[in-house]
Order: sequence, then structure tokens, then C-alpha cells
Amino acid sequence: MSSNFYHYPVWVRLWHATNGILCLFLIVTGFSMLYSNPENALVVTFQRAVAIHNTCGVLLTISYTVFFTGNLFTANGRHYLIKLKGLGKRLFQQGYFYAYGYFRGEKAPFPVDRDRKFNPLQQVSYVGVMYMILPMLFVTGWALMFPEFILKRFLGVSGIFLTDQFHVVLGFLTVIFLFIHLYVSTMGKSPVSNFRSIVTGWQESH
Amino acid sequence: MIFRKFPLFVFILPLLATLNAAGQEQDTLKAVRGAEHSLYADANEQNCLRCHGKLVYSIADTVTGQSRKELMAEHNFVSPDAYYNSVHWSFSCLDCHSEGFRKFPHAIETRFETGWSCLDCHGYDPTYAKYKFEEIDAEYQKSIHYTATEGAFTCWQCHDAHYYRPLARETGSQRDNIFKSNEMCLHCHGNPDIMGLVTEKELTMVLPRHEWLPDPDRHLAAVRCIDCHTRMSDSVLVAHEVMSADSAVNSCVDCHSQNSILMGTLYKYSAKESRDQEGFINGVIFSNDSYVIGANRSKFISLTGMLVILLVLVFAGAHTIFRIIIRPVKKYYE
Repeated sequence: MSSNFYHYPVWVRLWHATNGILCLFLIVTGFSMLYSNPENALVVTFQRAVAIHNTCGVLLTISYTVFFTGNLFTANGRHYLIKLKGLGKRLFQQGYFYAYGYFRGEKAPFPVDRDRKFNPLQQVSYVGVMYMILPMLFVTGWALMFPEFILKRFLGVSGIFLTDQFHVVLGFLTVIFLFIHLYVSTMGKSPVSNFRSIVTGWQESH
Repeated sequence: MIFRKFPLFVFILPLLATLNAAGQEQDTLKAVRGAEHSLYADANEQNCLRCHGKLVYSIADTVTGQSRKELMAEHNFVSPDAYYNSVHWSFSCLDCHSEGFRKFPHAIETRFETGWSCLDCHGYDPTYAKYKFEEIDAEYQKSIHYTATEGAFTCWQCHDAHYYRPLARETGSQRDNIFKSNEMCLHCHGNPDIMGLVTEKELTMVLPRHEWLPDPDRHLAAVRCIDCHTRMSDSVLVAHEVMSADSAVNSCVDCHSQNSILMGTLYKYSAKESRDQEGFINGVIFSNDSYVIGANRSKFISLTGMLVILLVLVFAGAHTIFRIIIRPVKKYYE
């Protein structure tokens, strides 16, 4: 039995779309910069990739500020509050469901409802990405634009080298998150129902 | 609706515009220099520059009325054009030189006048704190220039206050900056007579000493002398702790390595130069051509990252296949 309910307010959907588009541009230009050089362009020319990457990085910072403020002052923020008690057990239940229970036709242990937008695995990964990885990406990204604030040496290694490698690692983690996020989104009531929800705002429970 | 709920947008966009505008400040400062703006241009001309501002000057015998032309010694000549375009353009000559110079011929004591050091005027003054004169002085006092000359070498040997301009901040291209910076070193290190003013040591010719470098001409045109001959500093823009020749960088990997200090310093310099000259939006967002230092610098990270992404895709693919194959089983259970 299913019931539809309004789950994603306009600002969340607009932010999510902006965030997604900017992240895609950042990932494509980031890869282009990482695996090509000024003479051999991978996707776009090196110089253009830098300009697009920087522009999208600044815009993503602004978009993130909207998300952060929105979560601070609206009810959406409650979905990002992790209840630590019993977390390990809940994570295992959800992992078990994805790996085994799902194929046996078992019911989702933490289905989406009016009060719960994320299952425990989603909650932990979203909090990790939105409150740890992205802020660190912003700090390292902006630092590379204002390199005079970067430490000269840290543990015997060039501060700039560490900063840009850290930025790259965080970028990889974001790409990995994006793939998992997209794949898990296909595991709704139907493969496209979750995608429809984030566009219309109406969630079909499963 | 979003704009009404989150006026933050409205604050952040002007902030970016301000960051961009801050970079243009240098040009405004440069624009006000020149003799026509100086309060002392006439007095300087009448008292000092009518002789010291000319390569050929006239002297007259006031008793006999005779006059003759003489060549001004090169080290006593001050180019008015260059002076009025320097950072000290607004001063009267006698702001820095003693009253003894008012009389002509100048008394012998004036020959022993001690020139002001940079720190005498700019040290410990909050107005100039951002230039870090105190740190520069501390570096200079540890340098071979100071220790090997018993203090005979002063700021003036490199920075003639009459002509001083902040090269690193004003020079348009990095190549020009390298050329002008090296010209400063070669002024003494390429001239035994000038070198002899501060040391008894015999001058070693610069080019033969650098023949060990692969393609020495290219190196000397592309790198500042101080990049190899100073202890790199992160806090002051131009390092001043000049080391003895034995301690200079002489290993390829010191510069041509993934995490060299020089590479980091050059990136910092280049990024700041671009931002100061063109502002944040044009200078950083659209033209940061030094980004290459972040590219492919750790093959391990680049490879591992791709492998993990590949694994995630393989896992997702396998999961999808299971979803397709096992669907009937799922239905069976239902």
C-alpha cells in the first residue's frame, strides 16, 4: 500500500538542483584538470576547465550557505540529526537490507515517511558529505585561490601540495558519494520514483 | 521566494565585487606619482637637481663670472624622471639629506653622511606593517651580505631609495620581474668596482659559476638569483636571507619536484600577482593558469581514486544485475 505525501519543499528542490548541476560541472572540470595538461585537453581546455571550476566552486559555496542556513532555520535540518544510540545496529539492518533482504522481497527496515527522509546509511553519508567533506572542499578550494594563507610546510611537506592533494581526495569522495547516491535513488518504489519525487516534491512511500 | 527567505545572496554578491575591486587599488596609488604633483619639485630643482639631476651640469665662478660645464659622476646623479616615479617621489631632497648640502661647494662632512636604512623610516610603524620591514631586516642581518661585509652592505646596495619601486607588486609580467630582480644582483656581482665598495673579496664571474646548470641561459632567464641563493621565506614576499654560494640550491630536485618550496612560493606569488593586478574575478576565477601545480601531482591518489570509483560502478552494476535476475524470486516470496 502506498500513499503520496509532500516531502521536498521548493527551496530544498531548488537548492538540490543547483547543487547537483554545480557538482557535475565541478566533477567534469576537476577530472579534466587532473587527468590532462595545458597542451592536451581531456574534456575542455585546461584554461577553460580552471575558469569553470573556479566559478562553480564560488557558486557552490553560495548555494551551500543557502542549504546550511535553511537547515538551521527550517524543519529540514532535523533529518541531519543523527541519533547515536543504536546507530550501529540500524546501519547493519539497512546494509543487510541492501545486500540481501532487498532481493528476498523483505520490507525496508526504515522506509521513507513523513518524519523520516533518510534511512540510517543515507543519513550518515549525507551528514558526512554535507557537513564534513563539502566544507573541507570549500576551505581547501578557497585556500588554493588565496595561497598566501596556506602553511609553508606541514610535517615536512609543502603546504600547497598537501592542500591540493587533500582537495583532490575530497573531490574523489564526493564523486563516489554521487554515484552511490544516484544508484540508491533507483531503489525506490520504481527505479524512477525517487527522481520524480525530488522534481515534484511528492514522495511515494515504499 | 528564496531571495526573500535568504537575503544572504544579496550580501555575498557585493562581497565578491568588493574582493574584485580590491585588486585595482595598486593602480590608483601609482597614478598620483610625478613631479607635477610634488610640492617640492621647484625647490628640489633649484637646490639639488639643477646639478645632480643632469649628466652635464654648469658651475660658475661668482667672482670672475666664468662658467663651465662638467660631467656629473654617475653615482651622484639622480634621474628626476625615475625619482618622481619612485615611491619616495613626494619628498624634498633635504627631507633625507643633511642641511650641509645647502652650501655649495658641499663641505667634506657631507661625504660621510650616513644614508637612512629602510627600517629608519618604515620600521615598527603600523602604516607599513604589511610590508614586514622588521622581518626583512632580521633576514638581512642573517644574510651573507651583512655578515661578510661587517655592515658595509646596506639596503641601498640593492634598493636605491631615489628610484625604489615595489617591483614584485608593480611589474606586469613574471619575466620582467625576474629580469629586474637579477639586474639588481648583477649591478654588483657583474661589476668588480662596485663590488669593491663593500668587500675585498675578488669577484667571481657569474656565468662561469653557473655552467654546471643544464641549459644555464634558460635557467638564468627563468629564475631569479634569489630563488636559489636565499633561504625561502613564506612570510615576506621577497626573501632577503642571502646565503653563501656553498649553501645555494644546487640539486635539480630542490626545484623540480612535486612539493618543492620554490614551486609553492612561485604559485603563491603568481596567484597574488594576478589577483592584485586584475582583481578576484578576472585574476583568480578566470585566469589562474598556475592551477597546473595541483594536476596529476600524486599518481597514487589519481590512480586510487579512479580504481575506487570503478569498484563502486562494478558493485552498482552487479547489484543491478542481481535486481534483474532475482526479481522473479522476489515475486515468489511475495
